[in-house]
Amino acid sequence: MSTVIEISGLRKTFRRLRGGAHVALDGFDLLVESGQIHGFLGPNGSGKTTTLRALLGLVRADSGRMTVFGEPAPERLPQVAGRVGAIVESPQFFGNFTGRRTLRLLAVAGGVPTSRVDAVLEQVGLADRADERVRSYSLGMKQRLAVASALLKEPELLILDEPANGLDPAGIREMRDLMRDLAAAGVTVLVSSHILAEIQLICDHVTIISRGRRVVAGRVDEVLAGFDHGEYRVRVAELDRAAELLGAAGLTVVGHPDHLVVQQVADPTAIARTLGEQGLWVREVTPLTPDLESVFLELTGTGHRSAGTGPEHTAPPDRGTGRDAGEPERVIELGPTATGSGEVPA
Amino acid sequence: MNLVRAELERLTARRFVQLMVVLLIAAFGITIATTLASSHRPTQVEVTRAEQQAATARQEMVQAYQNCLAARAAGVQPGQDGYPANCAEMDPARSKHLPSAGDFLYQVFVFDQQIRPLLYFLIAFLMLFAFLVGASYIGADLTSGGMTNLLLWRPQRMTVLGTKLGALLGTVLVVSVLSSLLYLGAFWLIAVVGGLVGDPTATFWTDLSLTYLRGLVLVLMAGTLGFSVATLGRHTAAALGTFAGYVVLWELGARVVFEIIEVARPDQWMLSSYLGAWLVGRVEFWDNQACRPIESFCDGMYEITWRGGLLVLTLLVAGAVAASFTAFRRRDLA
Ligand SMILES: Nc1ncnc2c1ncn2[C@@H]1O[C@H](COP(=O)(O)OP(=O)(O)OP(=O)(O)O)[C@@H](O)[C@H]1O
Ligand SMILES: [Mg+2]
Repeated sequence: MSTVIEISGLRKTFRRLRGGAHVALDGFDLLVESGQIHGFLGPNGSGKTTTLRALLGLVRADSGRMTVFGEPAPERLPQVAGRVGAIVESPQFFGNFTGRRTLRLLAVAGGVPTSRVDAVLEQVGLADRADERVRSYSLGMKQRLAVASALLKEPELLILDEPANGLDPAGIREMRDLMRDLAAAGVTVLVSSHILAEIQLICDHVTIISRGRRVVAGRVDEVLAGFDHGEYRVRVAELDRAAELLGAAGLTVVGHPDHLVVQQVADPTAIARTLGEQGLWVREVTPLTPDLESVFLELTGTGHRSAGTGPEHTAPPDRGTGRDAGEPERVIELGPTATGSGEVPA
Repeated sequence: MNLVRAELERLTARRFVQLMVVLLIAAFGITIATTLASSHRPTQVEVTRAEQQAATARQEMVQAYQNCLAARAAGVQPGQDGYPANCAEMDPARSKHLPSAGDFLYQVFVFDQQIRPLLYFLIAFLMLFAFLVGASYIGADLTSGGMTNLLLWRPQRMTVLGTKLGALLGTVLVVSVLSSLLYLGAFWLIAVVGGLVGDPTATFWTDLSLTYLRGLVLVLMAGTLGFSVATLGRHTAAALGTFAGYVVLWELGARVVFEIIEVARPDQWMLSSYLGAWLVGRVEFWDNQACRPIESFCDGMYEITWRGGLLVLTLLVAGAVAASFTAFRRRDLA
């Protein structure tokens, strides 16, 4: 497996005309290997788009090393540009041109046979509307056109910044199928998105960025497993008594209004056995496996904003994970330039 | 090569460019139409009379010249009569323009006498066209994200920007040449059908062609300037604003201030002087400070030649291009 994108120590500070500087990237690292569908996640303003812009030579990084297909970027981008298809944050197209003409002009400029135009229009489901002006397109149609433009070159590496932006459910599903097909055909995909369930469905690898720094990276299943604290949700008639019994059996229990969460469980059958022996019949024992959303909210410290629960909860209560945020599962680096809620779990 | 083709297509497909071409043609059409309407083919009687009047006028010039020579030979001091010190100034043989029949024909378009101001009008209009098209072409691309898209395809900023400038200048040149052919051709036709051609000599044609070529250089410079300033300011409006600001604040405002504080030779600080010098060959300005205190005789004129004009304009345009390309090379694109 070869390295397709490698970024290390990327820094970018935007200087504003007034109000000094703003650190957008603070030593960010990213590694994408060939054949991956790599999810790129992070809260608003965490630096995803800035990373991709820097990688593609649209903004100049202050420091750091970047390579694409082993070639240093952006210096030798022209040499590999033909192998990279990219969209960065809802590209704008010229409103007076039709979709087909837009693509044809790009194809001509990039030296791609214009026969590709019809193929990609078909691929993104825009063939029937291709001869209308881009101005008259809906948000989702423009997004499809953008994806089509990225596909024109038959790229080996596809970089998609929020491709699902504005797509309807069917469109999201088509996008998912498209990415899977491309990946099956050997295309490496780097995709940023805020639809975490979607990322969890299609991506095999993930990198999460927060305030310009990487907070976690790896295979999706491994990342999730790393956040699996062996928690189970237990529903049973007498919650208080059950909590006592389980506690006496040496388990850590957190009480909730209608259920218990048992932590650090090695063998879940022990729960049912312990309670059953005392005549308490368990209605439900559900493993609380973390999903990307809970991991994301925990890592990026953005859970509080919407959850409105006590500081011990990093995830919304209905997720029911209720885990202690203080556990040093892995090093959670949060940049010094706190812009968000800024609560670093102690 | 592919990039050039794509850029040419992008440029010519722009609504604004098409609109400007229409306006250009409309303006030319109006000029041509008014000329046509106010000109008629002179009758034989009119021509004969005009020729007689011209002959008389030439005769008078010769006579005056002779009178001058005679007066000087007789030792009459200049100032005592109305003739200049040096009679050669009056020599009809050295005169640039001898009275001809065309001068005495009214409501008749005479090509060789009236085409020059019309040519200046053509050049001024083409310059405006080139400036606006140049500014809007790159300005719209920068603000609409078209440039970003293109750079994702061709991550070579200098090549992309250079190609755009090249495509612009090529298109402007073609439009200019074609429209001037139509424009000048139309006036020629008016002259032949509904007026007089006059008496175009070889010198006349050389002069006219040279002026036209110099005008084309100005047109290309205007396009380049619009393009560069819009690139620097990332917006079409940057170029338009700079242009309007320059005219209002400097050419008009500063000129007034210069008059008030009595700066010497204010015209040499104005781009318009150099523009005129390049186009016409040389321009003379009155130096308001040179002749103080007032003495008996003082030549307070100074001139700017086409060389000076070309130098200043070239430096200006080259500076703008260099600045815009340097800025574009490093800047962050949205
Ligand atoms: N051109 C710019 N000038 C100044 N600051 C900028 C510029 N572009 C981005 N930033 C800042 O850099 C930070 C990172 O922005 P970026 O667009 O990379 O975020 P993002 O992760 O893509 O967010 P989102 O999920 O909202 O798309 C933000 O704080 C943003 O305000
Ligand atoms: Mg973004």
